[in-house]
Amino acid sequence: MHVENHDHDEPGHDHHHDHGHSDPHEEISITELPGYYDMLETAVRELLVERKLFGADEIRRQIEVLDSRTPALGAKVVARAWVDGEFRKRLLEDGRKGCEELGISFYDDTQLIVLENTPEVHNLIVCTLCSCYPRPVLGLPPDWYKLKPYRARAVYEPRAVLEEFGTHIPDDVEIVVSDSTAMVRYLVLPMRPAGTEGLSEEELAALVTRDAMIGVIPVEYQERAA
Amino acid sequence: MSSEGLVKKLPNDIGGDASGKIERVEHELLPWEKRCHALADVLDFHKIINTEEKRRGVEALGSEMIGKLSYYERWIVAFANILFQKGILTPSDIATKMAEVEARAARQLKSHPNG
Repeated sequence: MHVENHDHDEPGHDHHHDHGHSDPHEEISITELPGYYDMLETAVRELLVERKLFGADEIRRQIEVLDSRTPALGAKVVARAWVDGEFRKRLLEDGRKGCEELGISFYDDTQLIVLENTPEVHNLIVCTLCSCYPRPVLGLPPDWYKLKPYRARAVYEPRAVLEEFGTHIPDDVEIVVSDSTAMVRYLVLPMRPAGTEGLSEEELAALVTRDAMIGVIPVEYQERAA
Repeated sequence: MSSEGLVKKLPNDIGGDASGKIERVEHELLPWEKRCHALADVLDFHKIINTEEKRRGVEALGSEMIGKLSYYERWIVAFANILFQKGILTPSDIATKMAEVEARAARQLKSHPNG
């Protein structure tokens, strides 16, 4: 089952209209010649389509799938795990199956391991070799996740790295850093913040951010003054 | 630096290296970058180029190109190289098609000079 949330009003999803279109067939309003790599992409794609290795519609559909994947999906998984102990158990046993239970399809053949933060253990995810990331549940990774400083340093000085995100982990809390691979991806299940007992599952999901599911910040909750 | 380090550590293998402060940079993908990502997924679905082949293809670009090309620039160049190695495309296929793509874009630019 595909999750197709075409929420184009979401922040960060505004479209650029200055460099052509994401639809491979619609290239009518260009205002300057495409760059070298842009044309290389078009050339490779069109050649492979001409040779019938795949259809142009498959690229278009995959762009829609990519657009439908946002951290809101991961947040839904986290909130469910917070309110439903049986679900949490199943999720920790098999992350992919747990997500699929909530209707989140995996469009690739990656496995997902969900790592639970506790008062004793804080988890952080990284991909030192490249940019492996739980895309089906979080969408595409931020640039900083793919750049050298995070990839190089997260594995040997996670506490210093976390401080740069404004996150202080006390010395008596163990930090576990998990290095993703092409086949195995991770998602952090953050701790549920105090004071959220009265919140609905939906309200809880709204607190959960992408960065909390990477493990670089905690989930915060400020009780509104009554 | 002794050459041994170069043999033991390939350009992608940077876990544990010293590096600078983390800048929390992000950008919305350009349309061609998003197409390139979708292309990568479709190549993987069809077992034409899988994720690990892509990663090695980027690594094979060497540290100079890895340093100078942006993320998706590395991907598309790696795809072209892997497709050459697999005998699926040739460099002249790409050259001919790129000339065609460029001519087409130039024609569109001419017929809609203000976009």
